[in-house]
Amino acid sequence: MTGYTSPRLPAYATIAAAGLVAGLALGRVEPIALAAPFLLALVAAAAERAPQVSVDASLDRERAIEGDEVTATIELSSADTVGRFELVPLLPPELSVDGATARAVHLPAGEKQTIELKLRCERWGVFTVGQVLFRARDILGFRSWEGGTGEPRPLRVFPAEETLRSLVAPLETQVFAGNQVSRARGEGIEFADLREWRSGDRLRRVNWRATALRGSLWVNEQNPERNTDVVLFLDTFAEVRAEGRSTNDRAVRAAATLAHLYLQRKDRVGLVGFGGFLSWLVPASGMRQLYAIIEALLTSQVVHSFALRGVDVLPPRTLPPKALVLAITPLLDSRTAAALLDLRARGYDLIVVEVSPLEMVAPRPGSSLDLAYRLWGLSREALRWQYEQVGVPVVTWREDVPLAVPLEEVNAFRHLARPA
Amino acid sequence: MTLALGAAAAYGGALADALVRAPSPAAAFLPGAVLGAVLLVAVLVFGRRGLGAALFLAGGTYVAAVVSAGSTVDASAPLVAVLLLLSGELSAWSVDERLDIRSEPRLLWRRGAALTALGLAGLAAAVLVAALSAVPSSHGLVWAVLGAAAALGAAGTGIWVARR
Repeated sequence: MTGYTSPRLPAYATIAAAGLVAGLALGRVEPIALAAPFLLALVAAAAERAPQVSVDASLDRERAIEGDEVTATIELSSADTVGRFELVPLLPPELSVDGATARAVHLPAGEKQTIELKLRCERWGVFTVGQVLFRARDILGFRSWEGGTGEPRPLRVFPAEETLRSLVAPLETQVFAGNQVSRARGEGIEFADLREWRSGDRLRRVNWRATALRGSLWVNEQNPERNTDVVLFLDTFAEVRAEGRSTNDRAVRAAATLAHLYLQRKDRVGLVGFGGFLSWLVPASGMRQLYAIIEALLTSQVVHSFALRGVDVLPPRTLPPKALVLAITPLLDSRTAAALLDLRARGYDLIVVEVSPLEMVAPRPGSSLDLAYRLWGLSREALRWQYEQVGVPVVTWREDVPLAVPLEEVNAFRHLARPA
Repeated sequence: MTLALGAAAAYGGALADALVRAPSPAAAFLPGAVLGAVLLVAVLVFGRRGLGAALFLAGGTYVAAVVSAGSTVDASAPLVAVLLLLSGELSAWSVDERLDIRSEPRLLWRRGAALTALGLAGLAAAVLVAALSAVPSSHGLVWAVLGAAAALGAAGTGIWVARR
């Protein structure tokens, strides 16, 4: 602890000393009477001693979802009475408290005080909570002792998920059982077609109605239910951030939502964080993979880099053949744009979800920035056209619409267009 | 706001007392008083430093006025002293309250009580000093011991108040 004295104490000391000297020099009592209360205040201040305080902060849980409230409990105790004990918990800006964060209490000797803070998780991420700055003062504030204490405790805030009723079905499926109806023929539930009986066909597959009509044995064909590989391609080269909102925040929310829902369908899901800091997770299924993806997303951040980077730096197993690659990008960096076109050229089933930054930086009407803004919009339009030319659906996810809207647009695009 | 007004009122009271007691022309004492008042306003409005200088100027103006007025002891000196102390304390409290800290309501009452006690103890000490000066030195050891005990008592009260 570091001790401080109030700036008014030296002033009081000066007034008291000047009063005493003036009293002696002038032979008058008034300056000495004037000095007396200030001397008394100095004596009172000098009598104060540094208190022995103990501060312990804890959280009611270590994991929360965006928008949740987490209760932080701070327990205070002191061996000596502290007239006024002020404390400020060190909180990241992503955790907010209603009203003032700093608190002040009276701390009697030997008594325990508990302060509860309701922390609202405004944004996803991994945070450290528990460190506290404090100041113990006498009640009149003549002297104070400041310090920091508390054990850092991790708090993981998972991104809030969007509500989605349907997902984008990949064009091709894998060989394992899943929930996606394959385009191939085989053992399954969904009826696909009729064909003439061949040696080896099972009797239960015979379609007796068709057989009776045509006079020869006909059997049903089914589409098997298979799983799919989905790779979430998160662009972390650049972001637009304004008023506490950012394109990367929304991209992470979308990726978490999609990972959760695809994994629920027994699909294998992988993750590629493509940016200044490259990260990947090989596609896998199950709850463990969901947590691995969420953990990777929590630490994903936009790191500015000038390195030229293509998809060839990724390990081959990260992008398995026939995988659906769902790119979530603000389309701000040309390296991502080139990498995505490269993926398409390699035959991947690619979908680009553009996290639109346009609304976040829209200039006021009549502003001189309007022209630049329109030109920027046109250049982004040209980039989208480039993707559409190679058969890649590009859907724009605006800030005020749910994620379901652009995904439905992808489904509509796929009904109308054939892949190149 | 209330604390700042209280500090200004206490300061104004001390200055008014000084100017009332000043011999004519009282305007000769005005510059110090005005400068002190301006400094106090700067402290109260902008939270700047300068409280010590403001108190010093007010005290200096008072002493100059009393000394110029004549040789009789001014009975209001303890009151002026306490008003200046209260002005300083209320100014500091006013600046403290502007910080964005959620504090227990009882802290306000405790500080108010401590300040009242400090003010009363200061008044008692100043009155004792003034009273003891009126006692002729020929009254002997008993009065001197009584005076010292009273001074110690006042100091003890101050310590007790501050430690609460």
